[in-house]
Amino acid sequence: MDTKISAVADKKGIVTLKTIQHTLGKHTNLVTLVVLIVALGIMTGGRALQISSLQNLMVAEAVRAFAALGVGLIIINRGIDLSIGQVVGLVACVSASLAQTSDYAGALYPGTVFPVFLPIIVGIAVGTLFGIINGLLVAYGNLPPFIATLGTMSIAAGLQLIYTRASTIGSLKNEYKHIAQGSLGPLPYLMIYVLAAVLILWIMMTQTRQGKAFYAIGGNPQAARVSGINVKLNLLKVYALGGFLYGISGVLLSSRLGLANPLTGDGMELDAIAAATVGGISHSGGIGTIGGIFIGVFTLGIITFGMTYMGVDSYYQLLVKGMIIIVAVYFDMKRHAKRA
Amino acid sequence: MKKLIVAALVIMTAVNFTFAAGQQEAGSEKVTIGALIRNTDEQFVADYAENLKKLAAERGVDLKLLDSRSDQAMQLDQLNVLLTQGVKHFVIVPNVTEATEDMAKKIDAVGGGAAFSNIQPSVEALKVSPNFYLASSPESVAGQIQAQILDEYFQAHPEKMANGDPNAIDAIFLYGQLGHPAQVFRSEAAVKGLKDAGYTVNIVAEDTANWKPDEAQAKMDTWLAAYSGKFDVVIANNDGMALGAVESLLTNKYTDDPSDPTKDVDGDGTVLRVPVIGVDATGVAVKSMSEKKLFATVLQDAVGQSTTAFELAYMMATEGSATGKDAWGISPLTEVTGESPATDAAIVGQCYLVPFAAVTMDNYKEFMQ
Repeated sequence: MDTKISAVADKKGIVTLKTIQHTLGKHTNLVTLVVLIVALGIMTGGRALQISSLQNLMVAEAVRAFAALGVGLIIINRGIDLSIGQVVGLVACVSASLAQTSDYAGALYPGTVFPVFLPIIVGIAVGTLFGIINGLLVAYGNLPPFIATLGTMSIAAGLQLIYTRASTIGSLKNEYKHIAQGSLGPLPYLMIYVLAAVLILWIMMTQTRQGKAFYAIGGNPQAARVSGINVKLNLLKVYALGGFLYGISGVLLSSRLGLANPLTGDGMELDAIAAATVGGISHSGGIGTIGGIFIGVFTLGIITFGMTYMGVDSYYQLLVKGMIIIVAVYFDMKRHAKRA
Repeated sequence: MKKLIVAALVIMTAVNFTFAAGQQEAGSEKVTIGALIRNTDEQFVADYAENLKKLAAERGVDLKLLDSRSDQAMQLDQLNVLLTQGVKHFVIVPNVTEATEDMAKKIDAVGGGAAFSNIQPSVEALKVSPNFYLASSPESVAGQIQAQILDEYFQAHPEKMANGDPNAIDAIFLYGQLGHPAQVFRSEAAVKGLKDAGYTVNIVAEDTANWKPDEAQAKMDTWLAAYSGKFDVVIANNDGMALGAVESLLTNKYTDDPSDPTKDVDGDGTVLRVPVIGVDATGVAVKSMSEKKLFATVLQDAVGQSTTAFELAYMMATEGSATGKDAWGISPLTEVTGESPATDAAIVGQCYLVPFAAVTMDNYKEFMQ
């Protein structure tokens, strides 16, 4: 859909004002990100734009990026997922509970040594399971996605409180914490995971029949069905994939924090949906790219980072964030409306 | 995907351009203290932050105060940002005890230090270096004091236990956000304190009202319909919810004299049929006590905690160390106590305990603003 980028220059290789305007208009989300980065640079006299800042930003946004990629794909298929934050939190608690140091008296399973891969696998499995449940409810139960995932949001929150008895799961093994806290030279592991996920999903969405099916369903489910696409199965697949990505997000979050508690992941659904939306994913379905979601995540990230760097009161941060989401999406919608 | 590459290129170019500029940030003589604050939506934390700002203005300190909105991941990000800016000395109101060790290690890596308030740091966090301190009144003490106040109340008025099971305290609990450390520790300690005082505690109803008066009022309305005459006390994790419960009891005429809700007929100190108890001693709560509506509350000393923590950070920044020195007139502990982290002899000298105070009908006037 939106994957082909028009050349800046026209056929003769001459850059005209019109082509520049056209290109800028087509990539509002990227323009927004660049404008924000430049603005931050100017406002801090360039101090905010250091290598270490970039590392901080990458680390801060990586966990959210997985959640945004998951929900972004779901939104492309005309869905929505409100269960993200609570599922990520549940996954974080489950994976953390299997990664506690065995000599810690307050551990959920004191004295038991689990291999370090177990929390990763179980955590991702829990996320995927929730994705499958969401998918079944939406695709085969015909529940509106908003309602179905509102239900599973509450179920995940309840399970998390029951499982942890509302306490904090801490004292995680160093090997486990290393998964998200380590880095390869200047590159944090977290960033490598995100880039790998972006690459894989990008290939899926642009180079495979699966991706085409997702776009087709998002564009027009009836037409997709007529052209022989199994809409229900594909919807199940996209919610399951979303759950799988939240699973990764939850595991990375507990590893990064070195703990999990019932507040972990709280409210992440809003950040993830906002990031996907700012990244140009249209809620009417069928429109948006993986690269766009990635840009959306970092657009919101740079806002938070920049305001934190400048010491802006967090109350104002919420205000500014909200306004930027509205403005970015307004222009994006206008662009789509023009095209339609 | 091409967009992605373009974005990466732009970021990298911008970074390269300004890399040199970013290297030099320090150099000014002004003392800088970083303050990582859990969430200023909580009255205590808001008062704590306000006092820090006031102290910083008085001493000419550059205070970099950041609010994590109860999100530990955000608090870590904020710490990273301040460390990038060259900040070394911190005052921290953490989100969870278990996160304090990792935070201390990050700060120690740049040769800095921190004083933790409100949520206690772990023993391991204080063991990272002698430059990490506890400047707090642990949450559980608030619950203990609630229990002490209620013990005195039921000793003076044993007939008030007659609702429900006459040999037990039939309690209704209003919790803050579930899993929040203040919710967990205050509730546990209140129940434990009553049990330790020899009571049987029977929880008639319990639920979260997320710290909010309106949610608490709605909960209490429902419970009154179900449990009228079957409970002895309402225990709330904060004053906001306690006042919501008070409002519900008043509107439902659950008072000593339903025709005149200002009369304390039985002389137990409250016009309501049962005592309602909170934590925080906020201005409105003490005002409510002056009208004999709210029965009691517990003062967690925001000014005391923040001043102690600020002085510790300030001494570290100006004198290199705060070890063994008094802060806000409070001396470091010399002996271990039963409460973590002051349970470990190796770090007990890094613990500064700020006293809590019971606010009851006897002394509430001292806390009126």
